[in-house]
Amino acid sequence: MAGAPEGRHSNPAPGIRRTDFHAAIRRNERNTVWLCLVMVLIGGAFGYAIGWSAEIVTLDAGRAGPAPLSVMEALTYPSPWGGTGAAIMVIVSALWVMVTLFAGDRILLALAGAREVSAEAEPVLHNVVEEMALASGLPKPRVFVLESPALNAFATGLRPEKSAVAVTRGLLADLKRNELQGVVAHEMSHIANNDILYATAVGVVVGLIALVSDALFRGLRRGAFRSSGRSRSKGGGAAVVLALVVLLVFAILAPLAARLVQMAISREREYLADATAVKFTRDPLGLIGALEKIDGTKQRFQGANRAIQHLFIANPFRKFGARDSALLSTHPPTPARIERLRDLG
Amino acid sequence: MGTGSIILLIVVAVLVLLVFYGIAVYNGLVSGRNQVEAAWGQIDVQLKRRHDLIPNLVEVVKDYMDYEQETLQQVIQARNGAVAAGGQSREAAIGAEGVLGAALGRLFALVENYPDLKANENVQRLMEELATTENRIAFSRQHYNDSVMSMNTRVESFPSNIVANSFGFIRAPYFEVPEAETAPVKVDLR
Repeated sequence: MAGAPEGRHSNPAPGIRRTDFHAAIRRNERNTVWLCLVMVLIGGAFGYAIGWSAEIVTLDAGRAGPAPLSVMEALTYPSPWGGTGAAIMVIVSALWVMVTLFAGDRILLALAGAREVSAEAEPVLHNVVEEMALASGLPKPRVFVLESPALNAFATGLRPEKSAVAVTRGLLADLKRNELQGVVAHEMSHIANNDILYATAVGVVVGLIALVSDALFRGLRRGAFRSSGRSRSKGGGAAVVLALVVLLVFAILAPLAARLVQMAISREREYLADATAVKFTRDPLGLIGALEKIDGTKQRFQGANRAIQHLFIANPFRKFGARDSALLSTHPPTPARIERLRDLG
Repeated sequence: MGTGSIILLIVVAVLVLLVFYGIAVYNGLVSGRNQVEAAWGQIDVQLKRRHDLIPNLVEVVKDYMDYEQETLQQVIQARNGAVAAGGQSREAAIGAEGVLGAALGRLFALVENYPDLKANENVQRLMEELATTENRIAFSRQHYNDSVMSMNTRVESFPSNIVANSFGFIRAPYFEVPEAETAPVKVDLR
């Protein structure tokens, strides 16, 4: 683990190695920025590949006589269509993200079947949320309970002023106060770190790439049928074949790569939320205890769906006993999270 | 375009960038200072909450704790002292709150010896209220100190200190934990 030990905390709890959570937070932020850049690059490259292929095919068709574009010419051609394609991908992503952000986030709570509870009904939960609001300097989010024996929790809200925290009934029953505090701190860290915004924006880009790739496949198939009808003697130089192959490879790989990066971002934000939670509570043992209990339970939360899985404290779909590599998971394996938390103090 | 005008253009561009940077730093300092002040206000709110709760707690607890009148008396006295000190200087308030925190800590420890008392629903509710109030005081102080730290870092580190010094932004004082309160009051009702 990186991060220089710092002498500021004089009494680390037993079992806690001394590391600076500020360093952990900075490291996570840096990783996220890189991953988001990679995401934009994937989208841009995909857009470029589409424009470039289209232009190569058009150019090739336009050339009279027996002199089709060579592969080398095609590869080194600085395609203005490609540039346009890349720009369109980036701009459409940005616009779509904005539309999604304005559309609001009420739906999430309804999807999971959350019910708002009053301070009289759940005083301890409300108090813990209020404490974490003070520790984080955020406005107090609304408090919801999910009537499920499973151990899980999630947060939502694109802006801190309109945020909400939801925990399951099982969590309230099984966790000690300081463990509940760790969970609530983790959820409020998602709000404080703008993770809901991140997740929404990244999800939109992934969705757009998938959509374009889908349309491409459909278009290519139709194109293939049409061209198989007539004789191929006339067109179809090496460059055109190359262009189509490149397009096909991109249509296959871009959605996959985007998905992998999305999951990597999500896992990075989980580690970050854990570190931020410790910054708020100054008590890693609470969150560690909670994660151990959550990891140990057999109960899965039923109301979850794939659209909101990254917002939960533990992945509602997967069970991480061991260190399965889980490239396609929204959450890091729980033992790895506990390991990192033990480094904070 | 001559070399002269190109140089002039570069100089103007650099100046414009510097001005934008200065504005950004200045706005950052203003929001930092406001955050420190808001955090300071939160501590006061929570201390007031603590003072209001204590008479209720003592009222409910005293029937059960016949033999602990002395401790209860100390809590009442410390509470009144803290209320009085709240109107005086900041240092006096911090000192008095420290005494109160210590007295409450002794009371919490004593309650552990009375199973009947702990089972009482009213007491449980009040103890949770007091536990959360103690936590809130600690967390708002922590948030205040965090805000002070990031503010002071900006005031002192180069190059933001140039902007800070020219507009009179100064270091904010840390809320040091009073000596008597460094022994943590651990309240865990479950």
